[in-house]
Amino acid sequence: MELKNKKWTHDQFYAIRGEVLNQWPTGAAVDFAEAVKYHENIPAKKHFAKQLVKAKKNGRTLTQPRAGVALINEHINLLNFLRTEGEADLLPTTIDSYTRQNQYAEAENGIEESKRAGRSLLNGFPAVNHGVAGVRKVIESVNGPLQVRHGTPDARLLGEITLAGGYTAYEGGGISYNIPYAKSVSLEKTIYDWQYCDRLVGIYAEHGIEINREPFGPLTGTLVPPSVSHAVAIIEGILAAEQGVKNITLGYGQCGNLFQDIAAIKALEQLAEEYLNNHGYPDCVLTTVFHQWMGGFPQDEAKAFGVISWGAAAAALAKATKVIVKTPHEALGIPTKEANAQGLKTTRQLINMLADQPFPLSIEVQSEIDIIKAETRCILDKVYELGNGDFAQGTVAAFAAGVLDVPFAPSRYTLNKILPARDNHGAVRLFDIGNLPFTQDIIDFHQAKMNERAKAEGRNASFQMVIDDIYAISKGRLVGRPH
Amino acid sequence: MMQQERTKVILGVIGADCHAVGNKILEHVITAAGYEVVNLGVLVPQEDFVNAAIETDAKAILVASLYGHGEIDCRGLRGRCEEAGIGDILLYVGGNLVVGKTDFHEVKEKFLEMGYNRVYEPGVLLERVIEDLQQDLQERGLSRD
Repeated sequence: MELKNKKWTHDQFYAIRGEVLNQWPTGAAVDFAEAVKYHENIPAKKHFAKQLVKAKKNGRTLTQPRAGVALINEHINLLNFLRTEGEADLLPTTIDSYTRQNQYAEAENGIEESKRAGRSLLNGFPAVNHGVAGVRKVIESVNGPLQVRHGTPDARLLGEITLAGGYTAYEGGGISYNIPYAKSVSLEKTIYDWQYCDRLVGIYAEHGIEINREPFGPLTGTLVPPSVSHAVAIIEGILAAEQGVKNITLGYGQCGNLFQDIAAIKALEQLAEEYLNNHGYPDCVLTTVFHQWMGGFPQDEAKAFGVISWGAAAAALAKATKVIVKTPHEALGIPTKEANAQGLKTTRQLINMLADQPFPLSIEVQSEIDIIKAETRCILDKVYELGNGDFAQGTVAAFAAGVLDVPFAPSRYTLNKILPARDNHGAVRLFDIGNLPFTQDIIDFHQAKMNERAKAEGRNASFQMVIDDIYAISKGRLVGRPH
Repeated sequence: MMQQERTKVILGVIGADCHAVGNKILEHVITAAGYEVVNLGVLVPQEDFVNAAIETDAKAILVASLYGHGEIDCRGLRGRCEEAGIGDILLYVGGNLVVGKTDFHEVKEKFLEMGYNRVYEPGVLLERVIEDLQQDLQERGLSRD
């Protein structure tokens, strides 16, 4: 196989489909023609892609939690609770971590242990093991649009089963579900395997079935500068569009400085439109997702609600199409359904109160938009150049060269040379630029910002500053100042 | 002058868990405290912890689990160490060890029964882990001073 950003032919797709469906016995129940008919009968109010388009048109920000447990009935109860008590607009099915690593036998064991223990021992819903029939039980028993959320480098079988089961949205991508979620899987393999997923969604689209695709925006969720995650998001958007995906949501994880966060969503929308248009995909519908703070949370629940509220406010003021919501249990792991509903309701209240308040495009926001765009262009244009006009090949070469680089990632396929830190106003900048292909002006800008903070704190910028920033919010501050 | 050899400890995130940030910071802090860290990174199976400990003659294995499957993943590690002839190695575990907000004392008891010497709650100060490590090594006569 030679990796290229080129739409797979049907022959190419069907040549490996049998092998994919054979990875676990439940794959045998996937029947594409029957699945298309099943999708045709899903009402618009339960259709994820359609609800996003409607929200974009009306300028609304929709709420969505993360949630998933091991057993079908418990999962249904959880989602219905989040819909009724938590007032969630959109619903997830978070997949457990064994399934994400294609460890279906371990997932089966987790299901059995959960039955015996009377509580979920898995951190998500093992959709492959439950199969098409099990998935449809969820779809039919839950009154809301449903998306698969996971972190799976090879998500081909999971995609086949959940989409045939009736899910109308599928998260992930060949970069965003590799670099933050794997240790030693090559980008060639994950981009190729995600072309399969995108092509599957594209083939559904050829049959008139619209399925939303969402690359995972926040990456490692730890002080990722907007331009770094935007470059990955836009590349994954282009890779998906090439395979025939028509409904794409691009995401960004909150950094915490309001001007930077609003600017990031604006810059992402504008740049993605531009790049998709310029590279031959003018017919994609683009929406945005804002992730509330993905880093460490305060253990104190009242303080956690403060963090959640700030994320809700930023999402609403940035006019993101949807917001992924955190919970007051974030510091302690997987939340109870009650805590999850509380995070949703806190967010709902903020969004409603801010819905009628436009945020003015101030000089501060505009200059952040300008810098994010300039940085993202530097990266994207270099990736394209390294790939000789091919974003798939360019991505592989760019990661090897550090032109694309994700901080704090587990994968050995990112150089891990860049180091982010906050500036004196809490915006995320780069303390070490690594090999990012920035212009001298941009490099000087970051250095000046870091120097300004270092001077204010009377210390040099160092790895200790980065560590202080990683823990700052969980300790009650935005910027990790010395004691 | 010969440099004194530093005590080796094994560090890793167990099972199908890929939380990498705390792992990188732990490596930094434990190294700064004077130990030689053999960091296995994320997604580490039990046998890799044991093999690395044998190969490097490490005195402690520090296991992290952040994603909720800790209960399934961590069970049996002490037994594996015993089978491999390093039954008395120090085993520490920490993170978000079970699914859901649970009383930490119950969690701690559960993991102590599994054979871990120390069990840490979420948000533990890393200084405390370093102090415990120094104390435990000293008690076993493995301290550097």
